[in-house]
Amino acid sequence: MSTADGGGAARRRAAGGTARGVARVAVLVAILVVVLYPLIWVLGSSLKSPTEVASNLSVIPQDPTWANYPDGWNYLRNISFGRFFWNSTVIAAATVVANAVSCLLAAYAFARLRFRARKMWFAIMIGTLLLPSHVLIVPQYIMFNYFGWIDTPLPLIVPKLLATEAFFVFLMVQFMRGIPRELDDAAKIDGCSPFGVFRYVIVPLARPALVTTAIFSFIWTWNDFLTQLIYLPSVSSYTVPIGLRLFIDSTGQTSLGPMFAMSVLSLLPVFLFFLAFQKMLVQGINTSGLKG
Amino acid sequence: MHPATSPTANTPATRAHRTPFGRRRLLRGIAATAVVPLVLGTAACGDDAASSDPDAPVTIEFFWWGGESRAALTEQALDLYEDKNPNVTINPTWQAFTGYYDKLATISAGGNAPDIFQIDDNGLAEYAGRNVTLDLTPFVSSGDIDLSNHPESLTQYGQIDGKQVAVAAGENTPAMVYDKTKITELGLPVPETGWTYDEFVTWSAQVTEAAGDGYWGAMDPSADYKALWLWLRSQGKEFYDGPQLAFTEADLTEWFQFWLDAREAGATPPADVVHEAVGGGVSDQLVVTGKGATSFMWSNQLSELGKSTESELGMVAYPGDPKGQWARASLYWAGSRSTEHPEVVADVIDFLANDPEAAQILGVDRGLPSNLDNRETVQAGLDDPYMTATVEFENALIPQMGPAPAPPPQGHGPLRSTLTTVAESVTYGQASPADAAAEFFRQAEATLE
Amino acid sequence: MAMTTKPAPATTSTTTPARSGARRGSAPGASRRHGEGLAGYVFLSPWLLGLMAITAFPMLFSLYLSFTNYDILSSWDFVEWVGFENYWDLFVNDQTFRHSAQVTLIFAFVAVPLKLAAALSVALLLNRESRGVGLFRSLFYLPSLLGGSVALALIWRAMFSGDGAFNDFLGLFGIPGQPWVNDPDWALETLMVLAIWQFGAPMVIFLAGLKQVPTELYEAASVDGAGKIRQFFNVTLPMLSPVIFFNLVLETINGFQGFTAAFVISNGTGGPVDSTMLYTLYLYTKGFTEFQMGYASALAWVFLIAIGLITVLFFSTGRFWVHYSDGDND
Repeated sequence: MSTADGGGAARRRAAGGTARGVARVAVLVAILVVVLYPLIWVLGSSLKSPTEVASNLSVIPQDPTWANYPDGWNYLRNISFGRFFWNSTVIAAATVVANAVSCLLAAYAFARLRFRARKMWFAIMIGTLLLPSHVLIVPQYIMFNYFGWIDTPLPLIVPKLLATEAFFVFLMVQFMRGIPRELDDAAKIDGCSPFGVFRYVIVPLARPALVTTAIFSFIWTWNDFLTQLIYLPSVSSYTVPIGLRLFIDSTGQTSLGPMFAMSVLSLLPVFLFFLAFQKMLVQGINTSGLKG
Repeated sequence: MHPATSPTANTPATRAHRTPFGRRRLLRGIAATAVVPLVLGTAACGDDAASSDPDAPVTIEFFWWGGESRAALTEQALDLYEDKNPNVTINPTWQAFTGYYDKLATISAGGNAPDIFQIDDNGLAEYAGRNVTLDLTPFVSSGDIDLSNHPESLTQYGQIDGKQVAVAAGENTPAMVYDKTKITELGLPVPETGWTYDEFVTWSAQVTEAAGDGYWGAMDPSADYKALWLWLRSQGKEFYDGPQLAFTEADLTEWFQFWLDAREAGATPPADVVHEAVGGGVSDQLVVTGKGATSFMWSNQLSELGKSTESELGMVAYPGDPKGQWARASLYWAGSRSTEHPEVVADVIDFLANDPEAAQILGVDRGLPSNLDNRETVQAGLDDPYMTATVEFENALIPQMGPAPAPPPQGHGPLRSTLTTVAESVTYGQASPADAAAEFFRQAEATLE
Repeated sequence: MAMTTKPAPATTSTTTPARSGARRGSAPGASRRHGEGLAGYVFLSPWLLGLMAITAFPMLFSLYLSFTNYDILSSWDFVEWVGFENYWDLFVNDQTFRHSAQVTLIFAFVAVPLKLAAALSVALLLNRESRGVGLFRSLFYLPSLLGGSVALALIWRAMFSGDGAFNDFLGLFGIPGQPWVNDPDWALETLMVLAIWQFGAPMVIFLAGLKQVPTELYEAASVDGAGKIRQFFNVTLPMLSPVIFFNLVLETINGFQGFTAAFVISNGTGGPVDSTMLYTLYLYTKGFTEFQMGYASALAWVFLIAIGLITVLFFSTGRFWVHYSDGDND
């Protein structure tokens, strides 16, 4: 349950629950096989030859070849797929930071501070989640074009700096409301202002929420298609999702093998990102302690 | 230096005329939003002055959809234009078909329509009818865009309400692609141009019979507007008359019934296999997925289909009288009405449509070259046997073709989807041919206004 | 929701003894409020600025457009005010609107609870510290990493078409197959499976929430003699309720807005025979394929009101079952 209470509990579990542990792992592995089969299929398809990939639906390639990987990487003459990876990484990294900072500030206000019209603003914040995004594309484009931001990453990043991702604000509000208010009060008695409470109580304790926000910001930005397509018109500023679609022009040239190969590669960075950050996710309230 | 390789070098100078800031706007943009209208105003004035000087630097935004090979060829041709016209910089942008029209519509709405863009006959009326496209008629009359050596019907297929709204980037024709290897294996004759629909269905049923489980003679094209259109034309009828439908509910009922009977005769696959190929890309077609002997495609897709299968492919016209065929623009070049350099736009379009060197570079990627002289030289230089076959197919068909209809009217896109939906309601057994036809006409009334 | 074991006050670190802090009651409400108003707006200012400068205009603009015949492409001079015509057409004449609303309701009400159940179950299984558990978590998240990738359509065809893997699997047990994804009677179900398959996001949120439950509560419950199951109902569920609430609200909103999967898998058509014509896919088709953005905006605002009502319902019932540790159940 926690790392901090050390070996005692772990040993007890190991002694008493070996059978149960084995059963649990068996269940997990069984579910995993089902859940991951489609992805293994993608891996298999990334090794199929061009004449096989459309006709053979089996997971196993008849005549495995690695050629799709170099072919996909060097698909375009002037721009390697690595360029798209770099573009995606820059935008995703900026989004992670912007979302984490701005949404944390707003969430603290909503979750902990009492101010006039708080409930109204909160309702509006939730309301911004509700409108289907497709009707916003054109007005947003007109606005960002008016700002002169087309062909820059600004339309993708500035809104995040201003906490327009209500999802994350709401997420953090819910987490903060799980932090006992006694901690705030204790800090206040120690002489902390609302800013001090934020710095010494909320920020350390909201870490699971921050990590969750970071993970989702990264992954969702990594997978976003339409906004990136519209605001980044130059081929050299294309990102991974747009790059992946370059392999399939439904009216003509279609290269499924390289597309599968690059799909596999595009999963790797996000997978590693997740693998790294989920560790921080589990270092929750139990080990972060109270520094204040 | 190629534009695509150095976007940062090009961007500030080139975009300055349209978006008020260059790359430096990154910071200034935020601070200066209040003065945007002012800057916009002055920028526009500056451009007017500049456009009167023929050697003043000009930048053109150029947008198309397609695959990587099309991108390579198009960029090469545009480079050639830049070499010949050093004052012109062309910013090429391309992407796959998915999202192309969404993006084109959005940036057009934002006042940022590319100076030149690729469009097809499904979108042409929508854009031309709403005045997004530049009227090219004056440039055609003045000879700046020379269409004298293009087939008459191909030129007409780029006209709407008497205006030349686009120029054909190439010509292609619906074509039935067949799996020669498989059919020969089965000991059956390969299809021929000029077969009647009945002959075709009988033959298809034989293929299914001979091949056994999981393989069928023909795709069911009942949801395919181009097959329906050719079927109507081969009987001397039409799809559209101006903005209205030119065929009757009875015609459509007959069409649906015909393919229903064909399926019962064993010629075509069950609904779910048909659905996989309907509206799918090249890689979803039956001749590629190994589920059928024939697919209803476009002639210029033969080469691409060939890359996805080990079988040898062949190509004939759709069944029925070939007079139903016409010289169809596979794709067009259109200019934007909001361009600040209409003369340059016209000049680039003329270059792509007529320049012999450009034609050599572009080859048959967008169909046969529109210019007939170029068509001959390009044909002589082809080394891909499938591309040669495509050209030979077209050349053989051209003398038998009928006159070109007008491009499909506004509402054609949604109507195509409606046709797919109602046709599938028949193949899935949810509606009778008559009910489906009635539903199509009910919806068409609302769509076409 | 009463808890059998009261949380030990303000203990957060197990390595240091419980900090005997002030109880809630000892903090005078009046003085707490003093000065918070200003601080509140300071902390809120980036969001407020974003609302004013970025979010509000497109939203209000779309509201305005819903009363016009705006078609995206025509010049603004041709945009006409049509009053409630779009709304009238929608409710009175539009069969596809009704159909897509129905499809969406079925999709959301089936897929969302199942997805949450899957996410919570796996999160509970993975909520422990042992070697390799991090890898397990990451592997379970893998499907969600695909998002709405282009590969998805091909994957789903390979799994759920007539000659797909799922039928091969059923064949092992002698069960006859179906063309699932290509069958109008089953296509929506395959979309639901897809939504459930990508349960990674709520799983992560559950995991993060579980980590916030103070260990002491379990220890205290253990001392009181509560078994694992009682601990789950008396400690885990109440302490997790804000996060459950969040996931429920957000996944419901997401479920109703389900677009990407339907778009990718049906190739933008909502087929076969409109069986996967989710509401937002229909809205998109109206706006971008049929160039009726005014009408699409009306569709969007009807949607906003409908989903808003559902959200209000969630919030008003939330006070009965969501337990906030800040003791401020509103």
